[in-house]
Amino acid sequence: MSITKKPLLLSPVGSFESLHAAIRGGADAIYFGVEQLNMRTKSIPTITIEDIAEVADICKQNTIKAYLTLNTVVYDYDMQLARKIITECKIQGIDAVIASDFAVFEMCKSIGMPLHISTQANVSNIESVAFFAQMADVVVLARELTLKQVSHITSEIKRRDLRGVSGDLMKIETFLHGALCMAVSGKCYLSLHEKNASANRGACVQNCRRPYQVTDLETGNELLIDNEYIMSPKDLCTIEFVDELMDAGIDVFKIEGRSKSAEYVYTTTKSYREAIDAVIDGSYTQEKIQTWLSELDKVYNRGFWEGYFMGRKLGEWTKNPGSIATEKKIYLAKATKYYPNINVAEFLVETGTIRPGESLMVIGRNTGSDKIILEELIVNGVKQSEANKGDKITFPFPKTLKSNDKLYKIITDNG
Amino acid sequence: MAKIIHYRSKCIGCNICFEMQPVYWRLSKKDGKATLINSHLKKDTHILEIPDESIQLSVQTAEHCPVKIIKVF
Repeated sequence: MSITKKPLLLSPVGSFESLHAAIRGGADAIYFGVEQLNMRTKSIPTITIEDIAEVADICKQNTIKAYLTLNTVVYDYDMQLARKIITECKIQGIDAVIASDFAVFEMCKSIGMPLHISTQANVSNIESVAFFAQMADVVVLARELTLKQVSHITSEIKRRDLRGVSGDLMKIETFLHGALCMAVSGKCYLSLHEKNASANRGACVQNCRRPYQVTDLETGNELLIDNEYIMSPKDLCTIEFVDELMDAGIDVFKIEGRSKSAEYVYTTTKSYREAIDAVIDGSYTQEKIQTWLSELDKVYNRGFWEGYFMGRKLGEWTKNPGSIATEKKIYLAKATKYYPNINVAEFLVETGTIRPGESLMVIGRNTGSDKIILEELIVNGVKQSEANKGDKITFPFPKTLKSNDKLYKIITDNG
Repeated sequence: MAKIIHYRSKCIGCNICFEMQPVYWRLSKKDGKATLINSHLKKDTHILEIPDESIQLSVQTAEHCPVKIIKVF
C-alpha cells in the first residue's frame, strides 16, 4: 500500500484546556461550538461568541485551522444569533462553519463564510455530495457508511472532477474515533421524548447509555437478553486500520469528543497523529498499534469496535454504564500561584491526600493537560511525606499556570 | 405570593416554556434564549411574582425545562 496524501487530523474542543491539548497532541485543525447552537450545549461549559476571537488567535499562532460547529436544529427565533455567530467567525478568520440546516447554509453564503456539511445532514451517497458542492467544500459523511461506500464516494469525486465553491476538489471527512450512538447520524429523539431534552439542540440526556429490562406486558415475564445495555454501542476506534482509511482517500479524519476532558483530547490526538505519520513514513507496525491501543484505553471509553467501516451492523454493545478507561483521575487541588522566575507552581489542596512519587495531572486553561510524577512534596514551604486538605503545596512545573487550573491524581485500574 | 426564578444565561432556547405558558415567556430574537416577561433582574437571575392560581402550571413548566433553569418558589 503506497499512500502519500496526508489527511488533516481534526480534534474536538469544548474548552480552552482541550484546545491546548489538541495543539500539543498534533492536531492539524480543531472544531468547537458556541452558545446554544451546537450539539454539546448541555454537556460542556459553553464557549461564548466573545471567545471566538481568542480561539481564532490561538489557532493562528499555532498554524492550525479552526472550524465552528453550528449544527443544531435552528428555529425562527435563532436566526439573529446564528447570523451573529457566523459574522463573528468571518471577522475573526475562523476557517469554516460546520452546519446542517439550510438557513445556516444560506447565511454562510451571504456572509461569505466557507461551509462544511455536518454529519447531521446524513450524507450517504455521491449525488448528495454533488448537490452540496454548490455551496460547500467539505462534507462530513454519515457515520453508518462502510469503508467501501466511502471509497466509492472519494473515487467518484475524482472521476467526476467534483469541485466545491473554492474551486478545489470536494473533500470528504469521516469520524475515526469516539462515541457512536444508536441513532442515524445523531438524529435521535429518545432524550426529547423522555426528558423534553432534545439531542438535536445539544441537550441529550444519554438515555441510550443506561441499562434496560425488557418485560412482556401480557405475562409480566422478563425477557432474557444477553446484555442489558441494549442501546449503547461501544466507541469507534480505527487505530488498527488507519492505513486503510487513508487508502480510501478520506481528506479529513475527525475525532469525536467535545464534551470529553483535555487529557482525552491530547491522548486521542497524539495517538492518531503518530499513526498517520507512521503510515506516511512506512513505520506503521503491529507493535506501534498495540502501544497506541493501550494509550487510548487509558482515557474515557466504553470499549472499542471498528464501527460500520468494515461492514458490521449493530451489535457491539457496551457492557458498562460508563467508561472502562484503565486510568482515572481524581481531583485534588486548584492552582493558587505560579512563580515564573523559578518555574514553580503552587496549589491549594481541596480534597484527598497527596504523597511523593504519585502520578499527577495538571489541567490548565492555557496549557492543556500534563502528566507529572511528583518527586518531592513541599507543603507550606517544608518537605513532607503527605499533604491534605487545606495545605499549600509547591512543585516545579515548566508552564505558566493560571489560578484555578486543576491538579488531579491518576489512578491506574487494570481490572 | 409565589415567584418564578429564571437563570437565563444557561437557557438553550428549546422553546418549551413559551409553548406551555406564553403569558409569561417569549423567545428573544436577539439571542435565541427565553425571556421571562416583565421580570426584574437580581444579580444573574430574573424574577417574576405570580398569582397563586398560576403556580401549578408554572411548576409543570419548570419541570419540563430540559436544563432545569426555571424554579418556582
